[in-house]
Order: sequence, then C-alpha cells, then structure tokens
Amino acid sequence: MSTRTPNRPTTKKPVSNSANRRRDNAQGNRSAWLRHHRDCASQSLMRLLRNPVSSALTWLVIAISLTLPTLFYLALSSLQSQTEQWQEGGQITLYLEQGLPDTDGDRLTRELDARPEVARAYYISADEAWTSFQETLSINRQALGFTDNPLPASIVVVPAQQNSSQLEALQLIIRGLPEVEDVQLDLAWIDRLNRFLELIYSVVTGLALLLGVAVLLVVGNTIRLAIESRKDEIRVIKLLGATEAFVRRPFVYLGIWYGLLGGVAAWILVTAVAWWLRSPLTAFLNTYGLEANVSWLGFTDTLVLILASIGVSLAGAHIALQRHLKDAEPR
Amino acid sequence: MIHFDQVSKRYEGGHEALSSVSLHIEKGEMVFLTGHSGAGKSTLLKLITRIEKASSGQLRVNGQILNRLRRSQIPHFRRNLGIVHQDHQLLMDQTVYDNVALPLIIAGEHPKDVTRRVRAALDKVGLLEREKYRPIQLSGGEQQRVGIARAVVKKPAILLADEPTGNLDPGLSRDIMELFSEFNRVGTTVLIASHDLGLIARLNYRVASLQDGKLMSTPFEGRRT
Repeated sequence: MSTRTPNRPTTKKPVSNSANRRRDNAQGNRSAWLRHHRDCASQSLMRLLRNPVSSALTWLVIAISLTLPTLFYLALSSLQSQTEQWQEGGQITLYLEQGLPDTDGDRLTRELDARPEVARAYYISADEAWTSFQETLSINRQALGFTDNPLPASIVVVPAQQNSSQLEALQLIIRGLPEVEDVQLDLAWIDRLNRFLELIYSVVTGLALLLGVAVLLVVGNTIRLAIESRKDEIRVIKLLGATEAFVRRPFVYLGIWYGLLGGVAAWILVTAVAWWLRSPLTAFLNTYGLEANVSWLGFTDTLVLILASIGVSLAGAHIALQRHLKDAEPR
Repeated sequence: MIHFDQVSKRYEGGHEALSSVSLHIEKGEMVFLTGHSGAGKSTLLKLITRIEKASSGQLRVNGQILNRLRRSQIPHFRRNLGIVHQDHQLLMDQTVYDNVALPLIIAGEHPKDVTRRVRAALDKVGLLEREKYRPIQLSGGEQQRVGIARAVVKKPAILLADEPTGNLDPGLSRDIMELFSEFNRVGTTVLIASHDLGLIARLNYRVASLQDGKLMSTPFEGRRT
C-alpha cells in the first residue's frame, strides 16, 4: 500500500492513503518549522555579524547596563559572607545569680542550646571567669584585696539568626528566665549593619530594574530599526503568504542573539572588574584585620545573568514587533 | 474562480473606488482588466489579494468568501495566488534563485523540492543561467520575468498581474503576455490589469473595463456557478 515510504515500520491496522498523506504532511510541517527556526537563527546571526560596529554598540550597551547591578550584587554577596564570619560578634551574655550551683548553670545552658533560635550556648562558671580575669590582668586575688570570687557565673549565647527582630524576641525570652540576673548584649552594630545591607540591597534592586528597562529600550529600538530597514521585504513576504510568526521569527532571533552576546560580554566585564579590584580590596580589608573574600560569578549566577539578558532582550524585541509590524502591511 | 457580487469599496473619507461591481471569472479563464489610472483596477486586485476588504457585496475567490476570512487564514489563502507587480517587488539583496524560492520557503517546502521547482520556474521564463545573479544586475524585462517565475513557482490556481508590462518596450511586453498565455493554457486562471489597449486588442481574450469604479462591459463567457 504505502510503497512511497518503505522505511516506515508497517502498522498493524491498515491505514488509508489519505491518513498516510496527512501524517506525512504533519511531519513535513514540523520539519519545515524546525528548518525555518534553524535558518532564522543562523541568518539573524549572519546579519548581526555583517554589521559588527553597529551591532557591537547595541550589545555593549546591554553589557554595561548589566555589569553595574551584577557588580553590586557581587559586592553584596561578598559582604554577606563576611557578616557570617562575624556571627560571633552578635553574642548575648547572661549573668546568673550569685551562688547558683554549677549544675543548675549547666542545665540552663543545655536548655538554651537546644532552642532553635540559638546557634550555640556555652557556660562559664564563676571560677573560670575569675581565673580568666586574673590571667588577663596578670595579678592574683590577694593583690586585688578580694578573698572571695566576686564574679558571677555566665552563659554566652550565640543567636542563630542575626535578623534584628528575631534577636529582640530571643532577648525577651532570656530576660524572662528566673536564674538570670542581668543580660548584656552587643547587638546594636549588627542591627546597623543589617539595615545598611538592606538599604544597599534596595538600591541595587532599583538600579537593576532601571538598567533592565534601559536594555529593553535599547533592544526595542534596535529591533525597530531592523524592522524599518526591512519593511519592503516584510510587505513582499506577507503578500506571498507568510504567517505572522514567520515574519516575526528573524527579529525574535535577532533579539536572542543581542541578549546572548550582551550577557556574555557582561560576564567578561564583571569578571575583569572583579579581578581588577581584587588586590586593592584585599589590601583595604587587611588593614581592618579582615580576611578578603572576593566572590566570583558562579555557574548558577552566570546562567542567571545570561538568561536574564536574553529574557529582557526578547521582551524588547516583542514590544518592537508588537508596535511596528503593523506598519508593514502590504499596500 | 473569482466572483464579485455587487462589490463596493469605499475608503475612509467617502471616496468610492469601486461601486457595485459584479464580475465572474471561471476556472482556467484569462481576463484583461482595463481602465484609466484611478478607475479602480488596483483596488479590485487588492480586494482579491485581501490587502483591502470590500465595504459591501460578496467576493468569492478560489472557493473562499473573503469577507469571512479570519486574519490568521489570510496567509494560507494568499499561497494559492501568484502575484506579478508592475515594479516586480524583488528583494534586491538576495539572488534571483532566493527570490524565486521565497514562496516555497514560506510554504515550508522541502529543500530538495525547492531546488527542483525553482529551476523549473526559471527555465520556463528563460533565466536558468541567471540564478546566481542579483536582480540589480538584470535588465527591466529580465527582472519582470524573475517576478513572474516567483509568481508561478508554486503552480498557483490564480495568477494576478498588475500592469506587468508597464515599464517594458512593446517587444518585451509581447513576450511577457505570451508567457501568461502559456500558463493559462495549462489551466491557470489569469487576471491581468493593463492599460496597454493596443496589446490587449491583438490578444483574443475577454476584457473587463472599469470606469470611475464601475464595470463597463463584461461580455460573459463560460458557465456561471
């Protein structure tokens, strides 16, 4: 029956010729569709590379627009990893009642340690505190005129979260404990740092949004010019029966290429700037006794950067096509 | 094949380009459309190609009622038409081959079939050895023949031509008209808008004449459906 297609495995049920033809057509349409996608992708890239100067201007603008927020993001994530190192700084010291037995102190420490909002808690007995105090001052208790140990036992609590509202909640719980005489916490600077980071984060987000709109406009305008320069061609192919999707496809790919090239260029710029700033930043942080921890863009970050670039460029292309393809109807 | 029933076209601003035109062109017929510039020839062709929509009346082309055609159906409808323009509307940055291949690429034909059919069409118009040229390197008559090759490469049911000999000298014009006659002989329905009355008179085909948007004479031939 189907001598036309000998390679195809024979089906059990007899298939009519028209059904066969319909299937051939469907397969033909799909491969034609794939072929056109492939052709559009390569032709758009060729078009772009044929005018290297004008296309480079577009994707460089994309690259620079994306580099700024990405660098801020890098700086921010470096800072955040620093503050994790400083987690120890945000500790709370609980001074216990004078004369509380060490066993009670130990029990309370274990209870606090088990709480989810506490990263770590350790007990300093009155004797340990007194020994450490004398060692620090290099004198003994007789020289100070004390016969008894005047220091109370204490528990040092390292909170799990450095978020200021969670810290305040933990502080309230601790103040409620009957064995606790006094609480001393060193949290104000952490609070300040966190608020500062939140502020920077908002600034970076706003900047990224603003520059994203810039990329949208730049790509949109470039695609608009491309449509403008090929208006006659669009009119002709519409009259020859081209569908809307067929007409749009080369411009959509143009947008994808701009996004990809811009994204890759942005990655190169970010990496170059990070490399450039590495040694002065290390030297600067070392003066504060801090370990430099300059991060690079990881695989995921790179992927996000390039995909975001392609996504915004595609959106720009779509806006341009939506607005300007209508002007190219056959006359 | 092409049926105008009381078709009128009014443009915004009130100008009536066609008023109550009834014209029936049967399958396999070849018809000339004449009239002064501004008489409505171009408007009539634009209605058939669905560039414009009729204001009233019914227009049926290739079995489809054009006023009911959805926007998304227009491209597929147009693939059954071959259109030849006065200024041939070739893509100047592409080769003769690519220009002629365009309707086949748009229809998603297989590359093997494309090559075969483009060569056949170029052979028909006598330009096979010019396939690698750019249109700008060809003479006016040759460019027009490339335009015709592009119009017939998909073997359309209907061939439309708008002043196809408008820019050509009499000898070349005769050759072009002879080409259209050949396509008509193998069954293509042909409608040619032209004001070259001398040339039309020498060819023995039906003539529809437009004046101020009205059809003057349509000596009816063939059967009405």
